[in-house]
Formats: sequence, structure tokens, C-alpha cells
Amino acid sequence: MELVTAIFGEAGPMLARTSRYILPLVALLIVARCISSMLRERYEPETWAYLYLPGNVMVPLRHWECILGRARSVDGQVNDPSVERLHACLIRDVSGAWTVYNLGRGETYVNGTRVPPGGCPIADADVLTMGNAASRFVDLTEEERSSLLQYRHAPGRRVRPGVTLLLLTVFQLLLLLQQLTFNPDAGTGVAIAFGVVAAVQWVYFIVLRASGQTGFEPELLALFLSSVGMSVAASKTPDDMIKYIILFLAAVSLYVFLCLWIRDLKRVKSVRMYAFVAAVAMLAATRLLATPRNGAYSWIELGSHLTIQPSELVKVLYIYAGAATLDRLFVDRNLIFYIGFSAACVGLLALMGDFGTALVFFVTFLVISFMRSGSFATAFLAVGSAVLAVMVVLSLKPETLSRFAVWGHVWEDIYDKGFQQVRAMSAAASGGLFGQGAGNGWLVDIYAAETDMVFAVVSEEMGLITALCCVASILAMAGFAVRNASAGRSSYFVIAGAATVSMMLVQVILNVLGTMDILPFTGVTFPFVSVGGSSLLGCWMMLAFVKGCDTRKSGSFAVVRPERFSGGAGVDDGMPDGDWYDGDGDYPEDDGWYDDGYDEGYDPRGGRG
Amino acid sequence: MKKVTGRALAVLLLAAILIGGMGVYLYRLIRDGGDWAAFYANDSVYTQGVLNRGAVLDRNGDMLASAGEGSFLYADDASVRRGCLHVVGDLAGNIGTSILSNYRPDLINYSFFTGTTIDGGTIELTLDSAVSAAAADALSGKKGAVLVYNYRTGEILCMTSAPGWDPSQGVDFDLEDPDYEGAFINRAISSTFTPGSVFKLVTMAAAIEQIPDIWQQTFTCSGETIIGGQRIVCTGHHGTITAEQALACSCNVAFGEIARQLGGDTIARYAEAYGLTSAHQLTDEIPTAAGSVPAAQGDGDAAWAGIGQYEDLINPYAFLRFVGAIANGGVCVEPTLFAGEKPDQVQLVNASTAQTLSEMMSYNVQYEYGAANFPGLEMHAKTGTAETYGGTHAWFAGFITNANAPLAFVVIAERAGGGFHVAAPIANAVLQKAVAVLGN
Repeated sequence: MELVTAIFGEAGPMLARTSRYILPLVALLIVARCISSMLRERYEPETWAYLYLPGNVMVPLRHWECILGRARSVDGQVNDPSVERLHACLIRDVSGAWTVYNLGRGETYVNGTRVPPGGCPIADADVLTMGNAASRFVDLTEEERSSLLQYRHAPGRRVRPGVTLLLLTVFQLLLLLQQLTFNPDAGTGVAIAFGVVAAVQWVYFIVLRASGQTGFEPELLALFLSSVGMSVAASKTPDDMIKYIILFLAAVSLYVFLCLWIRDLKRVKSVRMYAFVAAVAMLAATRLLATPRNGAYSWIELGSHLTIQPSELVKVLYIYAGAATLDRLFVDRNLIFYIGFSAACVGLLALMGDFGTALVFFVTFLVISFMRSGSFATAFLAVGSAVLAVMVVLSLKPETLSRFAVWGHVWEDIYDKGFQQVRAMSAAASGGLFGQGAGNGWLVDIYAAETDMVFAVVSEEMGLITALCCVASILAMAGFAVRNASAGRSSYFVIAGAATVSMMLVQVILNVLGTMDILPFTGVTFPFVSVGGSSLLGCWMMLAFVKGCDTRKSGSFAVVRPERFSGGAGVDDGMPDGDWYDGDGDYPEDDGWYDDGYDEGYDPRGGRG
Repeated sequence: MKKVTGRALAVLLLAAILIGGMGVYLYRLIRDGGDWAAFYANDSVYTQGVLNRGAVLDRNGDMLASAGEGSFLYADDASVRRGCLHVVGDLAGNIGTSILSNYRPDLINYSFFTGTTIDGGTIELTLDSAVSAAAADALSGKKGAVLVYNYRTGEILCMTSAPGWDPSQGVDFDLEDPDYEGAFINRAISSTFTPGSVFKLVTMAAAIEQIPDIWQQTFTCSGETIIGGQRIVCTGHHGTITAEQALACSCNVAFGEIARQLGGDTIARYAEAYGLTSAHQLTDEIPTAAGSVPAAQGDGDAAWAGIGQYEDLINPYAFLRFVGAIANGGVCVEPTLFAGEKPDQVQLVNASTAQTLSEMMSYNVQYEYGAANFPGLEMHAKTGTAETYGGTHAWFAGFITNANAPLAFVVIAERAGGGFHVAAPIANAVLQKAVAVLGN
């Protein structure tokens, strides 16, 4: 309050009250700009090589992992009775080298040599024979690829991310103004926290923008949600903002690290086994060391001030280990291992009595399974799903069940089982569309409001519009991952991206609808918004998987740029050793070709075959 | 890859669930948000459990209830507080059919758009605090209800129920105390009573329309008679009388005979047609209790049913609509509590039947009750003294046709004695006040 008066004088409180009506509009603008950018940008496939099938039919290879066979669902369909439905698989590595793998019972030959079980390299002009069908493989040269690249569009031209970031900064300033005015305990700590977030986002933007990146929608949405979450933290614990600042910095650092790490799939795969082990070990350790709260063994207390919820971090590991490249998808052994791993995770969550998180894992398992399942894997996964479902049910402890009993009837039990939810609904309705003002709510003082009922806290303090913007942000990320999937390079990124947004969607569903008594109240966090260090770290790390599936030109620094490859030599290790900063300004300011439309069938080699 | 990328669409299923769920939430928020916001734990509108905004005013803008500094206030005058108690209610919500219980969202001025972020609202009622206070005073010590409304505009001037208590003192009585039996109930809308002779207006209406020679018939009363094997006792020896005289002296023998001629089915049908057996809405949120007039089988039961005994039960509010319709040429202007509201109208009683009943009710006063007992009032009325277990309910129902005060009324004093001796003076006291307030 003193700060506000110092800056604005007597007009401060008046300004803060008026700003309540501006804040939701700024939120709406930010989210609308991100969604509009995601919708209006083109999601053009990349072309990595060509295959000339019998009859000189040209098939562009759009992914790093392509299936060939007789089935309709493959990437290169060969209509020959001697070819298996799923016959062979072509996989490109980050260095540009292609390998053929034989799938199923058929036989595959490269230049007359039979492909062994471990795969066989294939190069430009090689002849690939499946059954009786001979095809010619045509790789692209560097020049051909860069000439193709010209025809792809970079995001950020139609909806400029810098403007959105400016709006986000205004949003944060308004939140700060309201906190300092309405929240009697908010002081310099809160101001510093908002300042740090704003500084981090601008440094991040300027560095990446200078390196030629133009796609920022997922990060902007995450920053928007984190800003809302920080205001909730300021309402709850205005004197403890230093913890939030440290965690935010750690979260963004881990996010950047993970984005760079997943640029190289080989590297990702090399430590997958550690991820498996770490996930199970962390959950097991939690069960052993946790201090029970409401019957759930989910929190480990380290000293009096630090409490961690390892399951929030295990979510990242689960996706990291659960997503798989196409070659692995066809090995039954891997699938069984994956089901076993999932069963271990959900089983441990059941032992911990964390029904909400068990449910989140289960739905994510279903999504990953569905995406992984080929024709022969479905049966395994169906059995696996059933086993996991039983475990989820087993995680139901009496404390959780008693909350279920009041589901749909919270207003009939306002003193006990429905205590939290009726207050959440009351406070949420009180906010109207524009809110009482950040820091001006009472719900945040109710037990677990800042985590499990954060949607209601946001509705009360910042209004329904801003709260709906938070939900829309997660929906936008989901739509983004789905759209990017069609142009995904590896099934690993497609699966990881889809699994991440699924996990976030399930959390929002359980959080919002649970709070409002439309679903049972399970105590799950709202991604990025719910106050809590473990959740914040986990969410920002998972954001890397959303960035990882963005293959738009200059869209994502988690994805290696096509022009960086130099066929075979100089493997891009993806680490920031000057490699990812080049300032080559490939942001296409010099258009003229921009609206020409992209020719899907463009073939740099004309009619060669 | 094509298969894997295609299956990423599964994510959209979850997105659809979320969007659907948000739709349900928004629907419920729009429908129930006001009630959620009015919840007592909502610190944005309650200061330590006390509503901190909103006011209820009477027709003249006088305060009936209002949020004050640190406490919730009621009308200054104790009689006004009691007279309006059951309509206005108390902050604790003891009276379920009250304004404070049902219209709190309007009081806190809730809207979907602004939530509770703006100042509280004012509810302006049609009640007249002076008339209501007169009703509370007139009822003093008796249980019962007084209803007065303008049958041309629908405005309810008075809806007073007793026993009540002083809401500014909180509930300071023993709930088991028989003197406070049903103190939380608004008897005017939520109770039904045996009507006794006021029901003869219904029987009379049926006879006017269903018995062609009703005006030629005469009835001989020698104090009692036997109909359908049942002994019908009268209040006096009325001799040979016409139907008009029978209504005035409320002759049970004559009405037993008329009811026998009509039959139990016809009587029940008329009671239903006049809205006496259905529940009504005092407001959108506040329903009234439904009376019941079962179709009596056999002449004896039919006779008692026509006299307003047997199993007849009538809700005072429903009877107010009926007498209001008689006063207004058969058209019932629905009673309303909210100032400025344009109420619905319904043709409840045939216009010529209403005219005839109106003349007969005037005749009652001129030749039986005594116009001098109602000085200055152009009174049309019917008394009732209903036999019940533990005493007789005293009824007095009708209307006045004073130019500035077209008011219909129902007074019921529960187990308090005779209609003429107990209920009529209460009606007179309240209506004198009403005429004084409205101008003659």
C-alpha cells in the first residue's frame, strides 16, 4: 500500500479498483493472441527423403520414422501381395543417416543384401526390396533441403510474440498494483517476485529471438499461468515470496535444459533406463519417508519450511520414459516392460493413497498406450489397462471415499465434507466476471485453496474471465500438440507431447470440476497455477515436451533445425555451445514468397526416378 | 508414423470432456451463482456472519430491514417488526418462505457479471408498515394471519402471521413453548385451516350456477336437520328463509340442503376451479400451501363439505385470491409483494356470479353483521367459525369497495372463537388503518 501511494499518490487505490476491469481484458488479449497465433500459423510437414515405389510412384518421407507396407495406415503404401501389412521401417537419426529395419515375418533387402534384425544402413540411390517389390530410396542433399526449407513458414509474423510479451508484462504490473493495494501483507517481497518473473521472461525472449527463434506461444501461456499462480502465492504467503522466486528460476532453468536435452534423441534414449529407475525409486522413497496428510503419503517434509511432492516430478520421468521411438514400438518386449513400469508407478501411488495422481497417471497411460498400440499390441495394453484400473481403485482410501460420498451434494453437508467446496463455489461466484481484485479474496485462507481449489481463488480475485483464460491456455497447448503431431519427426516427440497435454488436461478437469462439485473432489493441482514448488518444477519441465513436438520453422529451440545437419559429419549435440545461437536472422523479413502457398508435391529433382 | 500422429487426436477427447465440464459449470454458475454468493461463509458480503449490504423497504420507502454498521437492523417500531416479520424474515433464515431467505442474491445485488463486487441492492415491497403494524397489534396474543391486498393492482399491503417474535432480539423464546407453536411458519401462505362458514361462498357460487331455481327455493331451519343420515346442527332457529338470507345468517340447515342438491363432486369441482386446492406462487421463489376439498360421497358428508367442515382445508392466501376475484368482477389480479410489478390476471369466477356474490356479501353486512361495526368501510364479507379439535377458528373474509382503497382481506384467528366476534374486529381495525393510510 505504501508503495502504491508513493508512486501514484492518492489516486493509487482508485487506479487499483479500476484496474480490476482491465486485468481480465489483458488476460483475454494474451490468450487470444497465443491461440490465434497457434491457429493461424501453418503446420507444414518437413520432407526428409523420397521413396520411388514400383511404378515410379513418388512418396515423400515426412518424418524421421516411416513405416512401409501394404496397410493403409503406413507412411509408404506398397500394393503388392508379397509385401506384409507392416513390412519395414525407415528411421533417420539426427546426423541424417537412414537405417532400414525389417518388421514382422517378411524379408527386406537393400541392394540385394538381406536386412539383419539389427537393421541396415541405406543411402541415396539404394534399392530397397520388400517381397517382390523394389523401390528406390532418394536422400536429399543439403542444397535440396535448404531449397525446400524456403517454402516453409516461420511463426510469429502474423501475431508478434513481442507484443504478447509486452501485454503479459502489463498483466503482471496490474496484478502487482492490485496485490500492493488490496493485500495488506504484500510488500517489497511481492514486488521483487513479479520483477524477477518479468526479467526472466524478457531475457529468455531476447536471447531466443536474437538466435532466430520466432515461436513462443507455449512459453507465453506458461508464463501467463505462472503469473496468475504467483499472485495466488502472494495472496496466500506474501512474506514467503523468496521461495517462490527460487523455485521459479529453478523451474525455468530445468525447462531450458530439458528442451536442449531432447534435441538429440540418441541422448534421450541413452538415459531412459535411468528415468525408469528414478521414477520408481522416487515413488518408493516417498511412500517410505512421507508424512501422512489426510491419509495420503505424498509429501516428504525436509525441515520445517520445505515440503516436496515427488509425484509431481515423477510425472516428467513417466512421460520421458514412456514415450518411445517407432522402432521400439514394434518390439513386444518393450511394451511389456512399459506396462510393468506403469503398473509399478500406479501401484506405488495406490500405496501412497494418492488417488488423484494415480488417476492422472492412469489416463496418461491410456493415452500413451493408445498411441503406442499397433495391431498386435492392443491386447497386451487392454490387459495392462485393466490391471492399472484396479490399482487406481485400490488407491482409494477411506478419507477419499468419504469425499466421494458427498459428490453432487456438497450443499447438504456445508459443515463437514462439503466444507471446502461450498466455500469455493461461493467465493468463485462472488468474483463475477472481473473479480474482487488480486489479494482481495478470502477463499485463499481456506485449507488447500491455493492448490486444490485454485480455480475458485482465481475466479474470486481475478474474475471468471481470467479463470477461463487459464483453462483456455491448457486447451490451447493441447490443440497445439495435436496440430504439431502431424508434422512430428519422431513418434517419441509426438507421444511425449500428447502425453504431456493429456496429463495437464486431466489435471485441469479434476481440479476445476472437482472444486465445483461436478466431479468428485480429488485434490489435484492446476498446472502452473496451483501454488507448490514440486508442481511448478514438474509443469515447466513437461512444457519442454510441448516445445519438443513443434517442428515449425524456427518454432522451437527444443527441435534441431533442418539446415543444421550436414549429412553424416558433425552430429548436432544440441547443447548451447554456440550451436543454437547463430543470429542468422532467418526470420523472413524479406518476403515476397510469403503468401505464395506451399506446394506439397514439390520435388527438387524433377522427374528423377 | 501416420498411425501414431493420427492417434494424437485422442487428446481432443479429453479436451472435449473439459469443455463439456466447463459448460456444466457455467450453466450452474448462471443458475445458482446468486445462492452460492449468498452463503453465510462468504466474507465478501458478510462481516463476521452479519450481512453487510442490502435493504428491504416498504411501499413508502420505510426501512423494514437493512444492513447497518456492524449489525443488521430491522424496522424501528416493534409492531412494524412483528407485522412484517414473516414476509421480511430474519437474517438467521428461520423463516424459510421469507424475503431474507429467498431473495438474498437481490439484497447483496448479485449478478453473474459483477458477482458481489458492487454495492448491495434494495428490495421494495408492496407492504405498508403501518397497516402491518395494525395487524400485529390487532392479532396480539392470538395465533393466526391477516392478509390485505389491493384487488385492482395486486399489491399486498399486509401479510401478518402470528405468533411471531421480535427479529431484532433474535430467537429469544423456547421452541417447545406452545405459545410459539409454528412461530417460523407464515400461516398466511404455508398453513391450511378448516374454513367453516366462509366456504359457504364457494357453495353459494356453485348453487347460483348449478341450481336453476335457487332463488325460488326456501329453506326451513328449526335448529337442526338430518341429511343422509347425519345430523346437521345449526347455530340458531332461522325459520323459513331464502338463499340470500341463508348466507347472511350462515344457516347450516339451508346450506346442508343446498350442498346435498349440488353433491360432493360439484362442490369439490368448484373449490378446485377457484384455485382453493392448488398451490400458488406468492413470488417466483416462494410457494404457498395447497388446500384440499375432497369430493364427499353421500349426502351427509356432502352437506358438511358444503358448510366448510368435513375434510375441507383452505389456505388463507388462496381464499384471498378468491374474494379478490369476487370484488373485481370475477377477475383475480394475482397478489404481488414486489413494488412496481405488473401482476398476471385470471378470470377466476364467472362475472355475473361474482356480481351476485358481491351483492350478497354486502347484504350480509347490512342485515346481519351491522354496517355500523365497520364505520367508513363499504364492507362486503362473510364470517366463519370453523369447528376443529381444540376450539373454533374465527374467519372473516371479504373486501371493501371504498374508492381509494379497493382492498380484499382474509383474517383467521386460530382456535380463537367466533368469526364475527373475534375475526371481524381484527379486520375492521386493520382496514380502518388501511383506509386512513390510502385515503378514503
